[in-house]
Amino acid sequence: MNLSLRLERPMPGQLGRATSMLATVVLVLAALPIITMIVMSFSASDTLQFPPQGYSFQWYRAAWHTFASPDASDVLSMGQALMTSLTVAGSTMLIATALSIPAAYALNRFNFPGKAFVEQFISLPLVYPLVILGLSLLLVFNWLPADLGVFRLIIAHVILALPFTVKNCAASIAAIGPEFEEAAYMLGARPLRALVDIVLPLMRPGILAGMLFAFIVSFNEFTVTFFLYDINTMTLPVWLYSRTVSSLDPTVFSFAVFIVLIDFALIWVLERLVGDEGVAL
Amino acid sequence: MNSAVLSSRRSPTGAPQPSAARLSLPHARAWLMLAPVMVFLVVLASAAFVVIRMSLGTSGHEWHSFTLVNYANLLDPYFMKSLWLTLKLAFQSTVLAVLLGIPVALAMARAKSPIVKRLLLAGVLLPLLVNLLLQSYGWLIILGPSGLLNHALLAIGLVQQPVQWLYRPSGVLLGLVQTAFPLAVLPMSSAMKSVSQVYEEAAATLGASRFQTLRHVLLPIAMPGILSGSMLVFAYNASAFAVPLLLGGRRVPMLSLLVHDEVAPLLNWPAASAAGVVLMATTMSVTALSQILVQRSQRALWSK
Repeated sequence: MNLSLRLERPMPGQLGRATSMLATVVLVLAALPIITMIVMSFSASDTLQFPPQGYSFQWYRAAWHTFASPDASDVLSMGQALMTSLTVAGSTMLIATALSIPAAYALNRFNFPGKAFVEQFISLPLVYPLVILGLSLLLVFNWLPADLGVFRLIIAHVILALPFTVKNCAASIAAIGPEFEEAAYMLGARPLRALVDIVLPLMRPGILAGMLFAFIVSFNEFTVTFFLYDINTMTLPVWLYSRTVSSLDPTVFSFAVFIVLIDFALIWVLERLVGDEGVAL
Repeated sequence: MNSAVLSSRRSPTGAPQPSAARLSLPHARAWLMLAPVMVFLVVLASAAFVVIRMSLGTSGHEWHSFTLVNYANLLDPYFMKSLWLTLKLAFQSTVLAVLLGIPVALAMARAKSPIVKRLLLAGVLLPLLVNLLLQSYGWLIILGPSGLLNHALLAIGLVQQPVQWLYRPSGVLLGLVQTAFPLAVLPMSSAMKSVSQVYEEAAATLGASRFQTLRHVLLPIAMPGILSGSMLVFAYNASAFAVPLLLGGRRVPMLSLLVHDEVAPLLNWPAASAAGVVLMATTMSVTALSQILVQRSQRALWSK
């Protein structure tokens, strides 16, 4: 086949030039809000005019000042909110993953009545209205005699993260195949031993991808948290929103860039783990 | 031994895979392993019943009374307008997200080079995973009176004076499309990935243009993925909260904002719950409808 001919016209089933260009345009547009926000955080003026008149680090200095020496008037410092966010995201990650590994194993290795229903049920948080989740958990938590504190947020975030963790773990088990366990059984391993020594290590990429997903989902959650937070359990996004209720000051953009950079790093690592298979959703 | 336990998964050759591990283990163990996840999901499901029960109560003695007055109150024009607005915006954003998502999904399914694949996936995951609040801040800058969009429109002469985008349905729609389109792309691209290139080659051999191949071969086969993507976008946007909160405010009162208003300043739990039940019922019925459509499209595909 002639190479130049191929360059001119991609073969059927290959990526055409029009498709590539359209895809690029759509993805750039989709990233535009994040890009504008990053550019805006370097603005030298204090209006929201875009593009800005000049560039400076003034908002980063102001943001650093807020972070390092919080005003007494602030109900909660950014440091505390960041700590809450990290605690909630870390706990969500560990709990959701620990729950998902046995569930994913059961969904892959057993056939039982009601399996199709369970699979549908696990996707429920993806389509469940977030506002209703926030409202109903708030009702339940208010009715409980004990104050759950930060666990109010962790329970909600685990529910939201479950579809991602279960599906990523399940995808990695499906890729392993039962031959490995069978070999272990033949060599005399008990089922639990085969699971821990053989299946879990082979599942590692899926488990890690699930963990990262859980962390990212929790770290970025706003709607449900907005219903459930109280003054002691404010996460970073809610703290940020509480600063902008009255007016939008550009220090918010500096904080936002900080969060987005964490997200970039997490998503990049996530992709290394997920690899070519794509994201299970 | 129960032969129903035999796996329905088939090896590539189409023969059932015999598996000792799957034959010998009882159902009880499977349910035991699923139990922890189910506990959380049952909390989620029963939370729906709490909201339904609350919607039938009266403010003050929420748990001890039965009344339909909260639903009757929803018949006022303000709520009806909000319901209509929510459905309209969710529907429009679904159509736009799917149309914009098709080329991206196609590129993801057909890209060969690993770096291109990674960049595409990163570009899709970014709007989905980055905090909606932060992305809405970005939209505030783009849509503002002296923002990027107005600058561009003035520069190319489409408009003579800045257009008001913020606190209008059109601005909210842009935000909804941008934050939800990854949910359309991911199921579509996995559906397109599973379409063998052979079909497209056959279509090309028969003289079909690239567009005809897309229109008559690829998209029909990927229809189940397109439908489930649409369902995800619709459900996500019908209950969107952060985007309308920042870009629409009180001027674009989507249902979820109404629900929160009843809770936060008004503390009227039964009214909030009744509005919530309507929102939930709407979302769930659209979800159920599209599930039926997915099944039907799958059946139609294989019976041809």
